[in-house]
Amino acid sequence: MSTLSQATEVVDPVPGADAPHLPDQPDLVQLLTPEGERVEHPDYALEVSEEELRSLYRDLALVRRWDVEATALQRQGELGIWASLLGQEAAQVGAGRALAADDMAFPTYREHGVAWTRGVDPLHVISMFRGVDQGGWDPVATGFNLYTVVIGAQTLHATGYAMGMQRDGAESAALAFLGDGATSQGEVNEAMIWAATFSAPVVFFCQNNQYAISVPIERQSRVPLYRRADGFGFPGVRVDGNDVLAVLAVTRAALAAAREGQGPTFIEAFTYRMGAHTTSDDPTRYRLASELEEWKLRDPIARLKAHLSRSGIADADFFAAVDAEGDELAVRIRRGTLEMPDPAPTEIFDHVYAEQTPELARQRAEFVSYHASFEGEQ
Amino acid sequence: MTETLTIGKALNLGLRRAMEDDAKVVLMGEDIGKLGGVFRITDGLQKDFGEARVVDTPLAEAGILGTAVGLAMRGYRPVCEIQFDGFVFPAYNQIVTQVAKLHARSKGRLPMPIVIRIPFGGGIGAVEHHSESPEAYFAHTSGLKVVAVSTPADAYWGIQQAVAHPDPIVFLEPKRRYWEKGQVDTAGSSGPLFASRVVRAGDDVTVLAYGPMVKTALQAAEAAAEEGRSLEVIDLRTISPLDLDPVYASVRRTGRCVVVHEAPLTLGLGAEIAARITETCFHSLEAPVLRVGGYDTPYPPSKLEEEYLPDLDRVLDAVDRSLGF
Amino acid sequence: MADLRQFKLPDVGEGLTEGEILSWLVAVGDTVTVNQPLCEVETAKAAVELPSPYAGTVTELLFEPGTTVDVGAPIITIDIGGDDAPAEPSGTGLIGETGANGRTAVLVGYGPRSTEARRRPRTTGAGAAARATAPQVLPEADYGSGTGRPPLLATAPDATVKPVRHGGLETGRAAEAHVTAADTQPAPTSSPVAGPVAGRGALRPLAKPPVRKYARDLGVDLDTVTGSGAGGVITRADVDAARTTPRGADMAVSAPGEQRIPVKGVRKHTAAAMVASAFTAPHVTEFLTVDVTRTMKLRQRLATRPELAGVRISPLLFVAKALLLAAKKHPMVNSSWDEAAQEIVVHGAVNLGIAAATPRGLVVPNVKDAGSLSLVELAGALADLTATARAGRTSPADMSGGTITITNVGVFGVDTGTPILNPGESAILAFGAVREMPWVHKGKIAVRQVTQLALSFDHRIVDGELGSRFLADVGTLLHDPGVALTF
Repeated sequence: MSTLSQATEVVDPVPGADAPHLPDQPDLVQLLTPEGERVEHPDYALEVSEEELRSLYRDLALVRRWDVEATALQRQGELGIWASLLGQEAAQVGAGRALAADDMAFPTYREHGVAWTRGVDPLHVISMFRGVDQGGWDPVATGFNLYTVVIGAQTLHATGYAMGMQRDGAESAALAFLGDGATSQGEVNEAMIWAATFSAPVVFFCQNNQYAISVPIERQSRVPLYRRADGFGFPGVRVDGNDVLAVLAVTRAALAAAREGQGPTFIEAFTYRMGAHTTSDDPTRYRLASELEEWKLRDPIARLKAHLSRSGIADADFFAAVDAEGDELAVRIRRGTLEMPDPAPTEIFDHVYAEQTPELARQRAEFVSYHASFEGEQ
Repeated sequence: MTETLTIGKALNLGLRRAMEDDAKVVLMGEDIGKLGGVFRITDGLQKDFGEARVVDTPLAEAGILGTAVGLAMRGYRPVCEIQFDGFVFPAYNQIVTQVAKLHARSKGRLPMPIVIRIPFGGGIGAVEHHSESPEAYFAHTSGLKVVAVSTPADAYWGIQQAVAHPDPIVFLEPKRRYWEKGQVDTAGSSGPLFASRVVRAGDDVTVLAYGPMVKTALQAAEAAAEEGRSLEVIDLRTISPLDLDPVYASVRRTGRCVVVHEAPLTLGLGAEIAARITETCFHSLEAPVLRVGGYDTPYPPSKLEEEYLPDLDRVLDAVDRSLGF
Repeated sequence: MADLRQFKLPDVGEGLTEGEILSWLVAVGDTVTVNQPLCEVETAKAAVELPSPYAGTVTELLFEPGTTVDVGAPIITIDIGGDDAPAEPSGTGLIGETGANGRTAVLVGYGPRSTEARRRPRTTGAGAAARATAPQVLPEADYGSGTGRPPLLATAPDATVKPVRHGGLETGRAAEAHVTAADTQPAPTSSPVAGPVAGRGALRPLAKPPVRKYARDLGVDLDTVTGSGAGGVITRADVDAARTTPRGADMAVSAPGEQRIPVKGVRKHTAAAMVASAFTAPHVTEFLTVDVTRTMKLRQRLATRPELAGVRISPLLFVAKALLLAAKKHPMVNSSWDEAAQEIVVHGAVNLGIAAATPRGLVVPNVKDAGSLSLVELAGALADLTATARAGRTSPADMSGGTITITNVGVFGVDTGTPILNPGESAILAFGAVREMPWVHKGKIAVRQVTQLALSFDHRIVDGELGSRFLADVGTLLHDPGVALTF
């Protein structure tokens, strides 16, 4: 919806880095071109059935539908904010679908696509953005940690979790999500040090969507992100983040390596944040419309749809059914959001500790009396 | 069996017991394995429990705490050592934003049974950043618990209780007292962890202290006795949650209270305690609650630390002031 | 049924205040779905499409294309009709913009809401009580999970049992149940631990610091003052009261030479009665000095009569008889003030109370229906009453129901007094010693036997005339007993 803002000087490009935000970057693992053609990569083969391909398409389409609906709900004041994943569906669905049941994912706050693949109810994610709770799903049952708002903190959690998996002798891995901006955080670097030193079964999945709010990637790193891994001593790979098949293949391989005790991998999923950082952000202030247009041509869903249609793997009925399912999902999300009950005020006090302290119990009791002293309180 | 142990040795034994009792207990910290820790608190443990359970970590406190969070999520009970109080700050982000809040934000699904051991306080003639008293930063953070041991017995039992406790605990160890000895009945049982204790009975003034200042307070009480004053000394032992009921009972008899801590005076624990005592014992107070703390300055170079730290004279001056009201 | 909603022009970018509607993408009558683009709007920066917040039917387009409209103005009306309609659009905008919901957008949430300078209405009673409960920590505070500390293990470990090696938690938890148990671990480098000592030293008296200082400045020992504040707190007034009554409080210490007698028993009851009487009935006392020589002579003559053999005949008997005869003539003096019913109860019978000094203190037994007794019977009754009282065996029944009282201060050699009414009565007569005094008798100074009568009465019931007449009659009867034949 945004169009050209007044021309701003974005930033001085890194000498030698040519148009770093544009999609065509070197060393990009790709198995499905933007036009929807299947291509091979020497290092990453992908065995995927037609059923699975249709299923991947369905995931992408429904995730986007969820995201669009949530954005609208925010515009209507039903959510405090929404962090849209528009454009990043393939990166997230591809990575999420690579996870085994016993693996553990550590998202940031935008991985609704991964949440979807882990079976998390969209309303349990929406509740956080509505301000009802800090995430309504069970992280242990879903294998999907709660969202982490402090940038990069979860990478250490993932690494520690992986160290626990090692001690358990489990053949499982942890998948740590992070953004391009997060790679500047000290704790992220510490996580990679730990992962390398202890050969922890953790994969770092970095969605380089080109921007950390308004700050472009070249201000975070002088070197392509996937090459950071060299510095820490483990493999790094850059994948076309809008290619769900490539993401799936690369992530599967990395997780397998981790599970087998080969230690961490850094995956840079090269993608683009089509929407704003959050719904009240105004991207027209810091990026060029032409860039957006370039990336529109790389849409993750369009290319898979083209491939499925052209190769006869899916027909018009299939796409219509997915659309219809999307509409139903949207209605469910809308209704569920509007009907979402507000939390009980005493939740402020519950669960602060596993063992409540006397002082907190006292404060809670006072709070209850105070609350009851107002007219109209239940 | 009763043994004479230093606080350091008591901690060592207590950690050993904790590790024997629960295979999920993992110690992590800089130099704690091969070296046995810069204060030898973890001496001998890596040899007996192995490198997977006693981990020499890379030099990054945030990394220690952040990976501890992940281990805790996976069902382990991490015991993190922060080598010196002044170096806890890189970990402060993980401690405050993650460790303290995960239980609440996950509605109890992600408990954080993490112990953060910190040798704290001054009086060891050290260079900068090795003599801090950062307890207020943690006590002010809901979701954390903070305890400060002062005796070998409390150290021996307290570390075990802390390790077994389901909530995250900042476990403060009085480093200047690490080599002081006391009786520990290792076959006995202990009082509760989150309880303060009257360590010397008295009638005239209630003196509160914790950690390294407990000994200072007790020595002050001995000196006061020679002047004909009877001081009641209470070891707070738990900073968060505070256990002030014994303090209130004491102040209702003495009518006077002095709180002592090494941490800077302004906005230290003494301020919170004074507020609570004033509110609860208002009608019993003969004098306002007085506080003795470090000055509101950065910890000075070691040649000046004895000028800075509260000592027996400053405690007794506060007692005099209290009695003078 | 029509449920019309209007969509207001939102601010689509950077705090702009107006926009031009370039074109409508829907027409009146169209069914629109949520998020369907309704129109194209141009701002100074860009042309944007506005998505519909509603699903429904377009009923009105409020502006022609090409019109510049202010932000916040409704531009389209949609009939939402059904129940899946989304909420009123708040028109949340970009950072710094205030939406129709009144909140200013921020990057990370709903944004600040403005508040009013007004207290929310409270419920009465319960709220007030809750507010009154200050967050005090009481010694045995209820921690919300029961009494005392949060219970963890039900039983404490037996000290002689080998401890369970489950780490500190179990032992610590068990010890929670014995939180006041004496410390078994002596402190290492200090004097032996005494442990929490119960009962050593008393609690200090409770007083606010300013009151404490006040007391100290005045030299009042708070340990001697009883506090009248809640919880026994000593107030400033209590200190003042303690100043004026040096032996005021319970925990007094005797000064040398001083005896302290506890107030209890009869004395306590009597004192209470006096206070009750003195401070409710307005007392007036009138005095009459009477030449009772003739009565004294009558007394001597009657003492020889066989009917009165063995019966003590005291001056009290004649005073009693005189009072009873006078009371018959003035029944109002034999009455009570019933405050609750707001009535004066004029009693039929006279239950004549006689104030008696006993070793236990003052008691006032009464002779029931004394007015119906003959002189002989009255003498007997009075003798019995006195003997019983002296023996300390006066029953409560004897002491209740009195309607009028005589107090004989003469036996002590005292002339008169201002007696206090027995509570519930409206008159009391004191008579003093019978003395030989110079008197004017038959026009000349003679030595006569003279006594003083003092009548106190409840001025609510007995006015001055009545009291005076009654007293005069009693005096007359004692002065000239023969007059009794006319009563």
